[in-house]
Amino acid sequence: MIDAQDLRKTFGDVVAVDSVSLSAADGQITGILGPNGAGKTTTMRMISTLVRPDSGRVRVDGRDASAEPAEVRRRLGVLPDARGLYPRLTARENIEYFGRLQGLDESTLRDRVERLLERLDLGGVANRRVHGFSQGERAKVAIARALVHEPRNVLLDEPTNGLDVMSTRAMRELIRGLRDEGKAVVFCSHVMQEVSALCDTIVVVARGTVVARGTSDELLAQAGTDSLEDAFVSVIGTEEGLVA
Amino acid sequence: MSVWRTMRIVGRKELLDGVRDRRSVLSALLLPLFGPILIAVMFSIILTEEADDGPVALPVVGPEHAVALIEHLESQNIEVVAPPDDPRAAVAAGDENVVLEIYPEFEEEFRAGRPAPVSLYIDTSRREGRVPVRKVRSAIETYSGKVGTLRLLARGIDPQLARPVNVGDVDTATPQQKAANLLAMVPMFVMLAVFVGGMFMATDATAGERERKSLEPLLLTPTGRGALVLGKWAATTAFSSMGLVITLIGSTIAMAQLPLEEVGLNVEFGPAEALWVLGLLLPLAPMAAAMQMFVASFAKSFREAQTYLSMLTMLPTLPGVFLTLEPMPPDGWASAVPVLGQQVLLLGVLRGDAIPVWGALASSAVVLLLTVVCLFGTTRLFGSEKTIFGD
Repeated sequence: MIDAQDLRKTFGDVVAVDSVSLSAADGQITGILGPNGAGKTTTMRMISTLVRPDSGRVRVDGRDASAEPAEVRRRLGVLPDARGLYPRLTARENIEYFGRLQGLDESTLRDRVERLLERLDLGGVANRRVHGFSQGERAKVAIARALVHEPRNVLLDEPTNGLDVMSTRAMRELIRGLRDEGKAVVFCSHVMQEVSALCDTIVVVARGTVVARGTSDELLAQAGTDSLEDAFVSVIGTEEGLVA
Repeated sequence: MSVWRTMRIVGRKELLDGVRDRRSVLSALLLPLFGPILIAVMFSIILTEEADDGPVALPVVGPEHAVALIEHLESQNIEVVAPPDDPRAAVAAGDENVVLEIYPEFEEEFRAGRPAPVSLYIDTSRREGRVPVRKVRSAIETYSGKVGTLRLLARGIDPQLARPVNVGDVDTATPQQKAANLLAMVPMFVMLAVFVGGMFMATDATAGERERKSLEPLLLTPTGRGALVLGKWAATTAFSSMGLVITLIGSTIAMAQLPLEEVGLNVEFGPAEALWVLGLLLPLAPMAAAMQMFVASFAKSFREAQTYLSMLTMLPTLPGVFLTLEPMPPDGWASAVPVLGQQVLLLGVLRGDAIPVWGALASSAVVLLLTVVCLFGTTRLFGSEKTIFGD
């Protein structure tokens, strides 16, 4: 359960995010849709405690992000915009490192890593050094690293960015799987189709603020249009930066 | 999770990462050997020169003009040989170290009791010529002095009258102290090894995390920033210390191999001295690691960090150069200055001087303080939004 209230963040004179609120329930996928530069990543970073909001409040499972940042990070699995791995470590070692930093004991860690490798179909390359991995394999290792501590809440920043068709399908399957396990999943994307296909609730942001929210049907009704594309263009006010 | 546990997890990962990185391993294991090898080579060159005691071959132009002088030279283990066609060119080209020219008017002037002209062709820019030149010159001067004394005696004058002042040198330097001036380079190399040993590790653990975009995921774990920095620092310190230990072992072996006693240099540098040096310099490894991490944390890329760090590495070599030119006593203010202090103290150990305990303590205390300040600074940088996301 993620609850963000009235988040605001400025960088110098630029207002990156202004009065953004969103609530992501357990067992649901909440999508943040917006064109590039709308403030999606900054919002994600405020939820994940790495960026301190100028005002507003984030609660994860009822814990306040500014008061207990470590506790909030423990409850979150984050696939950030930056998904660099350690090239000289194997896929398994990369995942294990983050499991240990999450405080897992060695036997639990072994179990979890084994299950994740299987689930993500990484078994064949698990003991190879990450240097030389394909984009898809890197993304899988990064997602395994984010999930190794079995967080109740998952934040994914543009999870299908740079992936081919097969990897994108696999990633969507995984996201649905996480929802079915009862996790609160938040992901942000500028790809309209992806958001409408996956999300139970959609929050549309543009120029740092929320311009619309609801299910796909509610958004259609709100905009009074027949196609989702027209609905998005109508609420955002421009076609710029959106990919159908 | 305890700070200690995080530190161990991070330290272990960084070490594993480090030993798999060729650059890190090379800079910690191989580069530190460079200093001892250079010292050994330089010493052997100096030793062969000093030990050179064979006859000196001296080309002489016009030996027939000064038969007595030639006889004297030959009695001094100087072998007179035929001169080259152009003495000046031969010396300038390095074919000959020294050529003596005796002018035709030598005999006439000599008989008349006037200074008889001879020239020595030498090239003072060449090191290898110094010993034969010194030998030839002193043989000629001895001859000149002897003849002068005889002339005075023949005229009934006490030769002492021509020497109003008699200068005698009283050399207080022990042979060990003389050798220490040559050994002043050892501290410099040790210092260099400390700073080079952990350089790649420090860069990889800070700017490297930013460059490969793994810093954000790392900071998304619930670990404390301080504990992360401490773990990285511990691993870097291990590599810096490795450089230090390898240079020391190399220097100890090098000095044990060199026949220093043969030329009157008495260098006491055995395992006991090496341990002293280790104790004095070991505090520098954590400081170097902390300083390098702090500086590298300002950089966004590996390359940028390397540029900053190579400047930082130049710093500790400056006192070394300075001390080679201008030695300082180990009991002065210099002891408390980090790096300079360690070098002054280390030089004291090599010279066989007594080491003032307060000096060793003061230098270690200042080093410790700097270490803590740099670690604190690095932790601050690690937590700042600008460091995590700035690009």
